[in-house]
Amino acid sequence: MRELSEVSWAIELENFGKCHRVGWTGRRAVAVHPLSLKVARGEVWGLLGPNGSGKSTTLKALAGLIRPTSGHCRIMGHPAGSAVARALVGYLAESPQFPPHQTGRDYLHYCAGLSGVPSRERAQRVAEILTRTGLAAAADGALATYSKGMRQRLGLAQAMVHEPAVLLLDEPASGLDPEGRLDLARLIRELAGRGSAVVFSSHLVTQAAAICDRIAVLSCGRLLAAGTPAELLGENARSAELSPLEKFYWERVHG
Amino acid sequence: MAECILVCKSAGASVRRMRLVAGQALGEALHLKLGWLLVAVGAALVLMARWLRDFNFGAMELKFLADFGLGAIGLLGTLLAALVTAQLFFNDLERGMPACVLTRPIRRWEYMGGKLAGVMAALALYVGALMFVLAVVIAVRERELGATYLSLRVILQMGALAWLKFTLVAAMTLLVCSYAGSALFASSAGLLLAIAGHLRSFTEASGQFALLRAWPNLAKFDAEPWLAGAGVGGGALLALIGYWALFLGLLAGLAAYVFEHREF
Repeated sequence: MRELSEVSWAIELENFGKCHRVGWTGRRAVAVHPLSLKVARGEVWGLLGPNGSGKSTTLKALAGLIRPTSGHCRIMGHPAGSAVARALVGYLAESPQFPPHQTGRDYLHYCAGLSGVPSRERAQRVAEILTRTGLAAAADGALATYSKGMRQRLGLAQAMVHEPAVLLLDEPASGLDPEGRLDLARLIRELAGRGSAVVFSSHLVTQAAAICDRIAVLSCGRLLAAGTPAELLGENARSAELSPLEKFYWERVHG
Repeated sequence: MAECILVCKSAGASVRRMRLVAGQALGEALHLKLGWLLVAVGAALVLMARWLRDFNFGAMELKFLADFGLGAIGLLGTLLAALVTAQLFFNDLERGMPACVLTRPIRRWEYMGGKLAGVMAALALYVGALMFVLAVVIAVRERELGATYLSLRVILQMGALAWLKFTLVAAMTLLVCSYAGSALFASSAGLLLAIAGHLRSFTEASGQFALLRAWPNLAKFDAEPWLAGAGVGGGALLALIGYWALFLGLLAGLAAYVFEHREF
């Protein structure tokens, strides 16, 4: 096995394409046209695009939930979906749901166990991630009582509990309040600072511009543009982390 | 950092991951209202045998109680096995759990194996509860009549036979779940496969439907023939366990193979 430190790219998509079979006739519907991207370690990529543009399909292929119809997806040099690649990935699905009878802490213990976190480290790791995601106070409450935003935070926590080298987030800001979105941005930058590669899909263009090192714009399964926010948006790319309405909300809520 | 976490391919690591999934599935099964509702209906049916004993069709009263009770447990247990398995599997799918679980370094066969083990543990609890009610009903009537019909050993054996049968039904349903799109389809198809397993013994008698002979014969696990001989002998029990293990392995293996190729 290659040493991970020898691998230059955290994520490689090489002519990745995906077709789905639809209906009784098995008609082929193209979800993603051949797409090539490379994400370095410590880099944050945002996948932007309207519904049906292929963002989630690309993330699912990287997480190993679907297989490419053409091309290759690699995580740290390993084929996406292989056991080694899955050990390196943290994945947050769109609108995650959890077993209602369990507590947040128990659920994270379960996820950490499946990810191979040694049992002696699990309690500490779970407590730490609960604090980082702002769920420490609600950790021992049943998941049925969690709000949508709390479930989203728990989704983030389960994706990060094993400190993955690659974090794949499908619409991570969905359901989060402005404070939650700022926390999310902080968490993503923090993970990137530790050397993790982060790829997330979003509809929130301004937020993506504020957080991302690079942005890829997809539409109808095709890559339309890719580059740094400055390259794509010009000098105003990082001018505002909060919209005026968000600033107003922030000032009212937090004085 | 994840670089420190090794992907452990040892058998011990597989067992550990399967135990985690099984524990999760068992926890969910015990919170499933449908499961306890069916157990309550089964217990009510077993208790009803006390009041229905006048309609014993000429059989000995205690034999009627045992036959009726075991019949009720057989019916409700088959329903439980199919419905609970499908419900647990599709609850996971609807919650997007594959995204949470299968993106981790757990193999899909480990996930399916863990799921089946969790359902089997839940079925053991359900069957245990129903057999306990039956044992109490029979013991009370035995005391009233001053007679003895079934020993605790035989009741435990009948419970074990019922459990073996229901776990095969659960494995059949899991096989359907591995490719099905809805819980309703999976539980209905699982029940149909269970019916085919019960009718399987007729194919030997009639010499027809030879293809069905590849399917497990669930009638082998029926308690009634064994009751007449006051229980199952050690050799026969071992042969039954071997038969059960063979088909459980085949069904679970096939389910894991199909699930391996499923996309989410």
